[in-house]
Amino acid sequence: MLRLEDLSVRFGGLTAVNTVSLSVGSHEVVGLVGPNGAGKTTLFNAVSGLVKPSSGRILFDSVDMLRTPLHRRARMGIGRTFQVPQPMHELTVRENLIVAQRFGTGAVDARKIDEVLDFTDLTDKAERHAATELALTELKALEVAKALATNPKLLMLDEVLAGLETNGKRRFMGMLKELHEKFAVGILIIEHDIETISNLCHRVAVLNFGELIADGTPDEVFRDPEVMKSYTGASDA
Amino acid sequence: MSELILQALYSGVLQGGSYALIALGLALVFGTMKVINLAHGELVLLAAYMAYMVESKLGLSPLFAIPLALVLVCTCAVLVYFLVSLIRKDRELNSLILTYGIGIILTNAVLLIWSADVRSTSSAWFQDAVVVGPFYSMRSELLFFVVASVLMAGLWWWLSRSWYGRAVRAVSSNRDAAKLMGINPRTTEIVSFVVAGILASFAGVAIFSYGVIQPAFGHALTVKAFIITVLAGIGSIPGVMVGGLLLGIAEALTVTLASSALQELVGMALFLLVLFLMPNGLFGAKARRG
Repeated sequence: MLRLEDLSVRFGGLTAVNTVSLSVGSHEVVGLVGPNGAGKTTLFNAVSGLVKPSSGRILFDSVDMLRTPLHRRARMGIGRTFQVPQPMHELTVRENLIVAQRFGTGAVDARKIDEVLDFTDLTDKAERHAATELALTELKALEVAKALATNPKLLMLDEVLAGLETNGKRRFMGMLKELHEKFAVGILIIEHDIETISNLCHRVAVLNFGELIADGTPDEVFRDPEVMKSYTGASDA
Repeated sequence: MSELILQALYSGVLQGGSYALIALGLALVFGTMKVINLAHGELVLLAAYMAYMVESKLGLSPLFAIPLALVLVCTCAVLVYFLVSLIRKDRELNSLILTYGIGIILTNAVLLIWSADVRSTSSAWFQDAVVVGPFYSMRSELLFFVVASVLMAGLWWWLSRSWYGRAVRAVSSNRDAAKLMGINPRTTEIVSFVVAGILASFAGVAIFSYGVIQPAFGHALTVKAFIITVLAGIGSIPGVMVGGLLLGIAEALTVTLASSALQELVGMALFLLVLFLMPNGLFGAKARRG
């Protein structure tokens, strides 16, 4: 469904993403891991269109994404969340979803909105304002809900679990698992927690200094000594 | 004395309706495009001169100028949009220079076509006094306050209930997130300029029908609209409506209690005071989490 071919993103002299080739099949859950600054979020930004790749190709359902304007990508089925939640502040939770659905799918379906609200545990907060009246867990849930409302084929989740306490994390993870089945989406997820990734993902891709250093099942990847070295930040010593 | 003050309050509110219309246009465009359109007051003035033309050349009521003003002003607003959208670098700052320049060109175009004379309506129907309870006003003042109220209610409905209105708010509050939801920001930008043009058209005809106009007046209107937007707090639409009324009242009270020479000054004083005491404006956004 999503295919990156030799994708590179350079900022001046810095190569944030270096000739990465990666694919995500429909209904597949792929984890993207790597130390801070490895280029994970930059890769997300390239796929969703917030940064322009320096070279390489991004194909989604065989369509060249680099020729597709940002706002069309949602319509094609790419949904994403941000590490720092990005609600549309002045809108209520429900309005956030309505706008996402109306412009992300071209149609309005109040039942689907209720379903998404219910699924993300936001029904009670539907008429609240996103900016000032939600707790962090709820803001993260809203991120997921907003992406779901656009009816995505691929959901890109950027550290949705970071900053949540253990209970919240467990609940959220249960939700992600259920979401994968219920809404029949492929998922590309950035996450630091190895347990979460092993639990959730069919495949794991590891980035280090912008390069893809491993791509395989969680078992294979987390047994790779080179991966573990980059991951735990161990030096050459 | 207290009657005098109450009467000033009443006149101020009526005047404030038009101020709010003008400021709402400025605020909408700033919301979607983060551009302060310094030519906005000149657009209002164009509508006012359309009203003058229709009355003086065709001998019709200035009300008939509204369709003409809508076409001309909205066209100009869209033109301003396209010129601004050509700016690639530092648009927020460079657009100030561009729109200020457009304002100067428009002012001088008005000067060239209609000369520097002060114009006002000669319609007796407009200028007749109407009495509401203990208060007096010109008929046109009351009429256009009603028009402004209807327009503001319509705008409120549009922003809070319609798809496009919600998209405009979505782009204003988080541009990137809105794009990722599938909203084309360029369309909402054009729409906000057109809506600003519609509000400016009515405000312009209103200003001619109860006041005096002259070519330099456009710039003063931009300043008033800017003051109101800052008073309200950037991004607060209801705040802008209240801010418009506040400026109207402050000006009317100054004229009544002090002197009409100080009318323009009071807005500035209010502006400084609010900036010092409440930098986020009276209705500005609170600090945001997340």
